[in-house]
Amino acid sequence: MLQILNFILLLLVAVSIPGVINRTRARLAGRLGIRFTQHLRNVGVLLRKGAVYSPTTTALFRLTPACYFGSALVALLFIPVGDLHAPLAFKGDLICFAYTLAIGRFFLILAALDTGSSFEGMGASREALYGALVEPALMLLFGTLALLFGYTSFDDIFSAARHFDVQLTIILLLMAYLFVRLLFVEAGRVPVDDPRTHLELTMIHEVMCLDYCGVDLALIQMGGWLKSAAFAVVAANAVAMPLGYHWWVVTPLAVLLAALPIGVVESSQARNKLSRNTTFILTIVAMAAIVFFMGYLIQQNIQI
Amino acid sequence: MFGFTLIALAAVAGVIFSVPTRWKSRTALLIVAAGVLLPAAKAVGVLLDPASGGELWLSQNPIFGSEGCSMDTLSALFVLIIALGGVATSLYACGYLKHYEESKSSAHFSLHCLSLVVLIFSMMGVVVADGGYTFLFYWELMTIASFLLILFDAQKPEVTRAALSYLVMMHIGFLFLVGGFVKLWMETGSADFAALGQYYREGQIIPLFLIFLAGFGMKAGLFPMHVWLPEAHPAAPSHVSAIMSGVMIKTGIYGLLRITAPIEGETLYTVGLILLGAGIVTGLWGVILAATQNDVKRLMAYSSIENIGVILIGLGIASIGKYTGNEAVMLCGLCGALLHTANHSFFKSLLFFGAGNIYSEMHTTSLDKLGGVAKSMPMTATIFLVATAAICALPPLNGFVSEWLMYVGLLNNVATGEAVVAAACGLIGLALIGGVVVLAFTKLYGTVFLGSPRSHEVAEAAEVDNFRIAATALPLLGILAVGLFPQGAVRVVARAAEFFLSYSELSSSQMAEMIFSETLGKLSLTAWILVVVIALVFWLKSRALKQRTVSSGPTWGCGFTATNTRMEYTGESFSEGLQSIAPSLTKNTGEGDAVTHQEIFPTQHTFSVGHKDKIDSLFAAWWVELLRRINGYVMRLRTGKINHYVLFALIFFVLIFLISLFNWI
Repeated sequence: MLQILNFILLLLVAVSIPGVINRTRARLAGRLGIRFTQHLRNVGVLLRKGAVYSPTTTALFRLTPACYFGSALVALLFIPVGDLHAPLAFKGDLICFAYTLAIGRFFLILAALDTGSSFEGMGASREALYGALVEPALMLLFGTLALLFGYTSFDDIFSAARHFDVQLTIILLLMAYLFVRLLFVEAGRVPVDDPRTHLELTMIHEVMCLDYCGVDLALIQMGGWLKSAAFAVVAANAVAMPLGYHWWVVTPLAVLLAALPIGVVESSQARNKLSRNTTFILTIVAMAAIVFFMGYLIQQNIQI
Repeated sequence: MFGFTLIALAAVAGVIFSVPTRWKSRTALLIVAAGVLLPAAKAVGVLLDPASGGELWLSQNPIFGSEGCSMDTLSALFVLIIALGGVATSLYACGYLKHYEESKSSAHFSLHCLSLVVLIFSMMGVVVADGGYTFLFYWELMTIASFLLILFDAQKPEVTRAALSYLVMMHIGFLFLVGGFVKLWMETGSADFAALGQYYREGQIIPLFLIFLAGFGMKAGLFPMHVWLPEAHPAAPSHVSAIMSGVMIKTGIYGLLRITAPIEGETLYTVGLILLGAGIVTGLWGVILAATQNDVKRLMAYSSIENIGVILIGLGIASIGKYTGNEAVMLCGLCGALLHTANHSFFKSLLFFGAGNIYSEMHTTSLDKLGGVAKSMPMTATIFLVATAAICALPPLNGFVSEWLMYVGLLNNVATGEAVVAAACGLIGLALIGGVVVLAFTKLYGTVFLGSPRSHEVAEAAEVDNFRIAATALPLLGILAVGLFPQGAVRVVARAAEFFLSYSELSSSQMAEMIFSETLGKLSLTAWILVVVIALVFWLKSRALKQRTVSSGPTWGCGFTATNTRMEYTGESFSEGLQSIAPSLTKNTGEGDAVTHQEIFPTQHTFSVGHKDKIDSLFAAWWVELLRRINGYVMRLRTGKINHYVLFALIFFVLIFLISLFNWI
């Protein structure tokens, strides 16, 4: 029962994040902003539409939205919210989570190449490279979690015995920070990618779904929300962990942790030059390595 | 036993050479299919009941004395892999070779079919051999058979060159192996693998290990001895590449497993680190080079190197786990390595079969000349997609299960606080390899199968014959079975892991049952949930679309309407980003001239880009130069004057006399 609540909370986080981002951006620009549920209405409209397919595409193109959305949905099954338990938990599900998300990326890249458009190929090429570079950071962060708590499953890690410890808290805060930075990359947000740009040449994620419309586009957008929610909740869990946390704290915290930085960065910063993106991601990898070794020192009781 | 081998060889040769040309490949298939039945049945028996294994043959040889052949669970696993790969390959060969029946001479054709049979059975000989002499006998037979197989298109100069470089490198490796076995025999009086334990207890472990590592690594394609692979695979016909890359290079892994298993104590940790490090370097080098290649088969050859790296990482984890006494880590690493060996043979066979289909229909394997193949060859495209997803280690397919096992081993290391730094390096390496594999293979699949065709030949190609489609059934079944039922697969490889345990009350399969049973059940559940959820979403979407208007319109050209297929994103441009951050691994060449200002009406221009392995050029430059210089010195002795030669003979006699007089040797 509680596991179903856990899943519903994740979905709630997923649908709230875009709303809060829009609201944050509007407020920072001095606007009132669109309706909080506008993105849901947009998707609702898309879901009622038909589809247009290019004759260049194959069946793979039609299968991809289902794979993208479906894999993101399954990836959520591994994530516990606060003190609740994840519906699916076993030793090593950290890896399952990462690779389940990779399914979506794999198919989206192929679908982009399926259209035969060089713009979409451009996006696909960038996504493939950034996806490859993100992977070590993700694994190092998971490794740090395993190192600090001695488990290899999200559920065991986040329900491990908690006691307040300054050093551990610092590490966990750093990890949350890195998870949010990873979210920027994975969700295709400024400064890595700008979802609102109008120039296809500079897009990454958006240009890959240029040829999708209607139901397919809706599925891809929702898949993106789910993916963001997974990262947001993991970050929120890490922040709330030392403080003795409950799901009703973690859920709003996850929304705020993901949406506020994204909103603030998008209103205050321009996107990176594309060649700077690899540096941006490699910085995350380097920081993840530092966090890992700090965790190792603490675990070995070595005072810095 | 050697007599038996020679008689069998002669008999098979007689049959294959005597049947008419159009029956030759089918005869080879029949011989392989009938011949593997008995070993495969025996192997299944051994895996079900390890006690039923044991001595198969005993024979005398002039050098190391009495040696036998026996089948333990590890040999049984490899025999099964070879049997599956062998049958699939010979089935594929029946379809693939049909085109060459007219163009090749009958003897040439027979030799090829015979070599295929010999290769498959000599590999079986390699994995059941107990002792050095028998092992090396089959090892050499395997090398020669594969050399002849590569030479199928011998009229092309690049094929001859690739085959010769393969032959030379394999014999350098062979010398290392001979050295290793002789050393073992001198110290312990026996060249059996079983004598290794005794040697390791008394002698220096690391030097012997390194000698064997060089010998076996040459076959497996270990960095920096991998240079023969990307040359040999594009040169060989596709079924040969499939069996060489899918199965034959794994005999190197088999050898490494055998020599690593008896190591114990402090040195095991060093050995584990060596294997882990070699694995990471090989894997990363292979995958980054794979991502930059613009030829289907060359890309896949580099991906084989990467997979060997991944298997070595697993083996490294297993050694470190054994050293720290953590059974879970050891089994994770070892089962991961063994399962990945089997998995790679499945998906790499499929991929090479796919490449063969493309080559025989479109006569090119260059990425940037293909495109849109999925439309003309839908079956090939579907099968290739499954294999691509499997090699990218995506759940719910088999590649994921083996990589997951290795990751769990590494995370377990981290979680228990043992060998944390090594495990962290493993994590980073494996993750980066996993990420770049996705880049390399989406590039391959996307450029070749998707988009629009880049030439007429590609657009007008047709699907291949049923033989070649049927050949993919066995590996495809393996991919799905391992992916959807990982419990069963891990149970099988856990049996084969028995040889690695030194002493314990529990057998490896009981241990695996304890450690994995619950987790693997959940992993299998995850795989099924994934399949069901994706199928459900797709079904709902299709149902919804049935009631709405689905129309067709051209791909959005971002406002530009005069697009043509030459403007598609090419493989070269797809990996440009990776190229820009990893330029130092390859020697990049761009040949051709740009359109100049003066050219008002542009004429035809050609442009070609290449990414050559730096190690390759290093090797070639270094030892070819040395050989040439030594040759120069030796040539000075050839003066052409008879009195000089008489003098040399005299010096020789005097030397022999002195040596025997003073007992120098």
